[in-house]
Parts: sequence; structure tokens; C-alpha cells
Amino acid sequence: MSAFRQFPRHSRRSFLKGTGAAFAGLVLSPRFALAEEDKKLSFYNYDTYIGETTLDDFKKATGIEVKLDLFADGDELFTKLKAGNPGYDVIVPTSNVVERMVKANMIMALDHAKIPNMKNIDPAFLNPSFDPGRKYSLPYQWGTVGIGYRKSKVEGVPDSWKFLLDDEKYAGRVALLGDQEHTIGAALKYLGFSYNSTNIDELNKARDLLIKGKKIVKKYADDNGQDLLAQGEVDLTMEYNGDIAQVMAEDDDLAYVIPKEGSNVWEDTIAIPTGAPHPENAHAFINFIFDGEVGKGITETIHYATPNAAAKALMDEAYRNNAAIFPPADALAKCEYSAYLGEEAVKVRDGIWTAVQAA
Amino acid sequence: MEDWKTNRSVFWTLATPGTFWLVLFFLVPLAFLFVLSFSDKAIIDGQMSINDYDYFTGISNYLRSLNSDIISIFMRTIWWSFLATLACLLIAYPIAFGICFAPEKWRPLLLMLIVLPFWINLLIRTYALIAVLRTQGVINSALGFAGLGPFEILGTSFAVIFGLVYVYMPFMVLPLYATIERLDKSFLEASLDLGGTQFQTFRNITLPLTMPGIVTGVVLVFIPCLGTFLTSELLGGTSSWMIGNVIQNQFGPANDWPFGSALSLLLMYATFGVLALRSLLQRNSKGVDV
Amino acid sequence: MAELLKPGQGPLDYGKRRWLQAVFAVTLFVLYLPIFVLIAYSFNVQNRSGVWKGFTLENYAKAWNNSDLMSALLNSLTIAFISTIFATIIGAMIAVLLWRFRFPGKPAYEGAMALPIVIPEICMGVAMLLFYARTGMMTGMTHLSWPFNLGTIIIAHIAFCFPFVAVVVRSRLVGFNRQLEEASKDLGASEWQTFTRILIPYMMPGLIAGALLAFTLSLDDFVITFFTSGPETVTFPVKIYSMVKTGVKFEVNAASTILILITVVATVIAMKFQAPEQSGH
Repeated sequence: MSAFRQFPRHSRRSFLKGTGAAFAGLVLSPRFALAEEDKKLSFYNYDTYIGETTLDDFKKATGIEVKLDLFADGDELFTKLKAGNPGYDVIVPTSNVVERMVKANMIMALDHAKIPNMKNIDPAFLNPSFDPGRKYSLPYQWGTVGIGYRKSKVEGVPDSWKFLLDDEKYAGRVALLGDQEHTIGAALKYLGFSYNSTNIDELNKARDLLIKGKKIVKKYADDNGQDLLAQGEVDLTMEYNGDIAQVMAEDDDLAYVIPKEGSNVWEDTIAIPTGAPHPENAHAFINFIFDGEVGKGITETIHYATPNAAAKALMDEAYRNNAAIFPPADALAKCEYSAYLGEEAVKVRDGIWTAVQAA
Repeated sequence: MEDWKTNRSVFWTLATPGTFWLVLFFLVPLAFLFVLSFSDKAIIDGQMSINDYDYFTGISNYLRSLNSDIISIFMRTIWWSFLATLACLLIAYPIAFGICFAPEKWRPLLLMLIVLPFWINLLIRTYALIAVLRTQGVINSALGFAGLGPFEILGTSFAVIFGLVYVYMPFMVLPLYATIERLDKSFLEASLDLGGTQFQTFRNITLPLTMPGIVTGVVLVFIPCLGTFLTSELLGGTSSWMIGNVIQNQFGPANDWPFGSALSLLLMYATFGVLALRSLLQRNSKGVDV
Repeated sequence: MAELLKPGQGPLDYGKRRWLQAVFAVTLFVLYLPIFVLIAYSFNVQNRSGVWKGFTLENYAKAWNNSDLMSALLNSLTIAFISTIFATIIGAMIAVLLWRFRFPGKPAYEGAMALPIVIPEICMGVAMLLFYARTGMMTGMTHLSWPFNLGTIIIAHIAFCFPFVAVVVRSRLVGFNRQLEEASKDLGASEWQTFTRILIPYMMPGLIAGALLAFTLSLDDFVITFFTSGPETVTFPVKIYSMVKTGVKFEVNAASTILILITVVATVIAMKFQAPEQSGH
């Protein structure tokens, strides 16, 4: 299944200001013994998906200069690295992309001994299905896919995919993600199947549902559904929780819900691609990211759920109790990770997605 | 024109850098794509490989493009490109005509006013259009004051075609301006003096004489329209994929580079068809050459 | 129709026709409205609702202080500048070649030269990516220090820009009076002297127009740049694209306005520079 097209990330700088101050006094001892590598690191990430001062602080602590390059969605990351690593040291692939990249030998195994701050990671994240034992990747941020909506324009809580896929009640006021993984996944969930189904009958049913549901949908959004919602272009949108959390902070009329049929839980990981020119620096950087204070700085800027327990403990109540960021356990229990399903399945899903677009 | 043998050293000096660059940094890379279009993902241990290919396995990728979904997207692409080109022509012709018959000192300024937006980044322009076309955007707000609307413009096929016209219009104005400007006005005077009406003069004199400009403009607008993916992605709704989006998808989420290569090459052949048609039309016309 | 003309208006004074003026005015309005809206919004107080909340210069301050954005702009301008120089020289040589010589296989040669113009960007982007990866050029060049790490992008930009320059310059050459060249040679001027003193001055408006086109194409390009860039080489369109896609737009409006200003000023200067040359023909 093709992964990607995950989020464009967001994390508005405007979200929480003054993160920098938290770091003013932070000095780490330069104990990152760096073999003879240049003091350089190339970091390939979503735009503004890192703390405002994290990279500068890392330079202060270790003398290593981090150069940031950007991709707009996960498929760009995969496409770019597929033909060979042009020189990236640290990347941020989503869970199913990790699985695919590991299968294609595009990711290097991590040396856990060089990442003592792994102790800060919530143990719940240490043995995921897509990377058993965390050999290749560590959790960076996680979240869910659900429905963002405008309370005043919707009756009650639209806690079902029905309102986005099957019920004409809100026709023309709905946006779905223009992402085959999630839109097909949501349709499968609504029909009672797995998000990761590879059963052709089930997939065909999902296709028919999506084609029939096109009259409800105004746009397959490029992960800017939160803006369409904030601007009043649509009243319901399928989106990543962090995006909706950001607009909710500016507009009390907006809310987020995970549909009762279940949905997707995703995890962005941090990994080192094969052929990275500065693997020592990369390990040092990853270790730095999992420091409690550093993790707090990142979370305060981008406002996603952090798997860094030490960082979470340092955050305020408002963040820790935000239901849009940390969903209730029973809702979460019905969510699935996206798995990498193999190239044949990707091909089938792509055919279905093309059929939906062509209809 | 002289034969290349008359001055070989000059010929080779002029030809070498460009030919070298074209071959090494364009044709050779394109050959990679060509080879890939006849290949398939390798099957290793019974599983389709992510990254390895079996080369020269046949034309399966081309056969796959005969799929009805792909064909209907292809038809949609051609239809929308046609409409956008037609709209460009109908708007650009009077404009180019108006500029050519404006006082001479005004002409460069008027031309520049029309062409200037073209120099602004395509992405920025498309993005600017979104703010204008939104349901609560500028146009609908203005209509709201007049008690009309709001109209759903964004996310419709109209929005995509409008976007294409907006983006590619200068490509039409420039060649039209170039031909109309060189048009011998005495022909028009003669026709009018001899009692022809304005319409007859236009149909029988102006139009045929400016045909080369029209053909060039049509080609210059139609071809980039065919390869569009950004405009349809950003302005379109749920049924707005054009063939460019399908190709984009093959090199992105679908990770099916062989199929993407085959579709790219088919698109390229389609543009060759348009160009061949152009040279055919131009050979038969007697107008002012551009 | 003639009877409809106002006093003092000749039958060929189409420029004075009201309806033509109206079409012109409406078109200009539609062309510029989005751009002015974008510029206006760049002064809007940040908010996601798209509603006017008040005037501010904060977005500009943010854009200016956003070092990523500024280095992306510097990268883009550097790439555009170097590509333009090479593309203009190579393109002009090809233009002269095609205009001056007859040679076997010329139609095919011309067709090949037109390929970069007609091929969809994504095909070329992926082809270049495959090429750089398989030949090892990608890893070879991206480790160099700035600006040499921009090399892969620059090479690709030259490849798609120079055929455009060739087309523009060639259309200028069509009007050249070849007797001038012959006269020059008859008077004892060498090939080189004729070229620099007769042909180049004549080509100048075409060269400027071609260079300007190359510069804009390079500055504008997103797709091919994306596929040919390595680490540390984010360009302005790549940055804008990721910002727009993720819905980060306040600084985008401000930065876009700055870029619009740069392009407009460059175009106006080039047009001014070009104007006196044109009177010669």
C-alpha cells in the first residue's frame, strides 16, 4: 500500500512562541565522541516538523551543523532515495514506509548502544509490528487520522465515516484526504474490513463506495483540509489529528473525532538511510532528539503526540490532556497501523485509486 | 543558407556544445526512461521487488494504458486542454489585435502588462487563484454584496480550465502579436476600400494571414496543458485528474516507474502528433511566418 | 460598419474600439486580481480563516528572519544566474547553426532540439534522476561545497533552458539581412569579427529575451529541480511547494510578494534595455 502522502506537516511556528528560551541554558557535554566525521549532518524532513531551535541547539552542544532538506510528502522521500541515497544522514519516514524501505535495503540498522536516551521512549513504542525490536527506526511523533468538523454546522458529533462517504446529509461540504492509503483505508473501515485489506472483493466494494460517494465530497485535499475547514470551505474533513489540533486552538467552533468504525494510527519514525555519509553524527543527533528537554521543545513547536515519555512529562496539562492529540484508549483500540502490503497490493490499490479519480 | 561543408570549422564550433549537452544530459537520460517503459519490476523469491527491474520484458506497460480508466483520463485531458486552448485563442486574439492597433508608443507597455504575470512563479500564481476562487474568496464576496452566489468554483472542472487559461494565456498572445504586427495593413485597407465589410475583411484577409500565429499559439498552449498536473491538483475537485497526475502518481505513491515511463512516453508521442499537425498546417498556409 | 465610426476614427483604428478596450480591461483585471489579492494578504494579520484581520508587516519580518527561506532564495537565484549564462551562450550558438547551415538530417536534429521544450517536466525530472543515480554523478556532486553542490540542478536547468533560447534567438535571426554579413567579409573582416561586430549586435534583443526566458524558467522550475537536487540544495519553489502543501502560508505570501517584485523589476529593466535596440529593424 502505498504509503505516503502522509502529512505535510505543519506545525506552525506561530503555534507556541518562545520555545527558544527553554533551551537558553541547555548545554550538553560534548561526550559524543565523533570518529573522523566532518561536523556536518544532512537531515531530510517535512517542512517545520522540528523544534524551532532544535538544530541550533544541537550545533551548540556538539558543533555539528545540521542542513535541512525538505519533502512535502512521504512518497517524495521514498522516490528520492529509491535511486540511491544522494547524501542524507537522517530521514523521517512513516511506519509503513520504514517497512518498505527496510525490505528494499534502504535503511541502515541502528546501533542502540549509541542512543542511551532510548530509555526516555515510552515502552509501548518499543516493539511495533513494522519494525520488531526497533532495529531500524525510532518513534518520532505519532497520531491518528479522523474527522475534523465545525460544531455549529454539524448535528451532534459526526463520529462515523458515514458522513464523509455514504450519507448525503452534508453533501458538498466534505473534504477527504487525496491520499490513496487513507481514503481507501477509511472506506474499508466503514465497510467493516481492515485498513490494510488486500482482499480484492473488499477493495472493489471500497472502490464502489468511494465512486458513489463522490457527490458528497467537494475535494480530495492535499492535506490542507484543516485550512478548508478553518476557512469555512467545508464543514467536515478527513485529516491528521495534529492538523486539526492546530486549527482548534484558533477557532473554538472546530473539533476532532475518531470515527466509531475505527481508523488509522500512524507513527513517523526517525531513521538513518543506507549510505549515509555521517552515521556517527546521525546517531548523536537521534540521541539528542530523545533528550527530555529537546523533545519538549520539538513538541511545543509542532504539537503532535510525542512518544518521548521524558518530554511528555515536562509538558503542561493542557497538552497532556488534549483529546485530539492523545485520543481515548477505546477509540485508539479500534485504530490500525498502516502496514506495507507488498508491491502487488500497491499496484491493485493504485488501480482502484485511478478508477476513483477517473470516474 | 550555406552547406555545412563550406565552413566546417564554424559548423563544428557552433554545433558541438549544444549537441553534447543535449545528447549527454537529455537524450541519454531519456533513453533510461525508454528502456524502463519496456521493463517490469523483478520477481525475486516469488515477490515483486521494490527496487529491481527485469529489463526488456515486453510491452505490458503499454497494454496497461489501454485500461478504460486511463483512457477516460486521457480523453478528459485532451478535452480540457482543447477547451482551455480555445478560450485562450478567443480572448488573446482581440487583445493582440488591440495592442497592434494601439498608438505605437503604447504598444510595448500594453504587451508587457499582458505578459508580466507570466514571469511570476507558476506555483505562486495558481496559489493566488485559489484565494480568489474560494467559496468565501474575493469573487464570491463581491458577488455577495450584489446579492448573488455564493458559487462553488474551486474544485470544479471550470476552475481547472480557468486556471489553465490564466496560466498559459501569454503563450497565445505573444505569437499572435508577432504575426498581427507584421501584417501588411494595406491589405485590410484595400479590402475595406473595395467595399468589404469589417467581418468579410476579417474572415477573408486577416484570419488567413494570421493563421501561422494562431497555429503556433495553439501549439504553445495545448502542449503544456497536456502535461498539467499542478493546476488540476490544486484547483480541481474529485474528478479532476489529468494524465499528468496519473504519471506523477506512478513515480510517487504507486512506485511503478515502468508504467509511469510508458505513460510519459505516450504523452510525449501525443505532443509529437500535435507538432506534426502544426508543420502540416503551416506548410499549407500562406500567412506571415512567425 | 463604417457608419458606426465616430468622427476622427479611421476604419483601421481598432485600438479605439470600445469593445476591444473593454476586453483588454477585463482581461487585465482578471490577470492581476489574484496577484494583488496575494500581495494584499501578505500584509494581513496571521489567521487561518482567510479573513482580513488588519495590516501588519510581521509576515515580512518573519520571511526575512526565516533563514531557510532566504537560503532557498539565494540558491534559486544562483542556479538561475549560472544556468542562464550557459543556456544563453549554447542556445545562441545552436540558433546561428540552424539559421546558417544546411546539413543532412537537419529536420531530425531540429526535432531533437525541440524535445526539452515539449516533454512533460515530470518525464525529464525522473529521467535525470535515473541518469544521475546510475552514473554516480548524484553522490559525486552533492558532496561538493556550495555552489558546486548545485551542479546537478544547474546541468538539468541548462538542458531544458537552452532550446528555448535557441528558438527565441533564431526567430530574431530570421529578419537578418545576410548581405550585411557578406559585405563585412568582403571588406576583409574575419569570421570572428563578423560574428562579434555584426551578428551579435543584431541578435542582442533576441539574446536578452532568451536570457530572460531562461532565467524565469529556471527560477520557476519545481519538478525537475526536485528530482535533481541533493541535500542542502532546497530551492525557492521547492520550499514554497512544501509550505503551500502543508498550509503554512503567511510567510509564503510575503516571500512570494518579494519574488514578484524581483521578477517585475528584472523584466522592466530588461525591456528598457531592449527597447532602443529594436528600433533598428
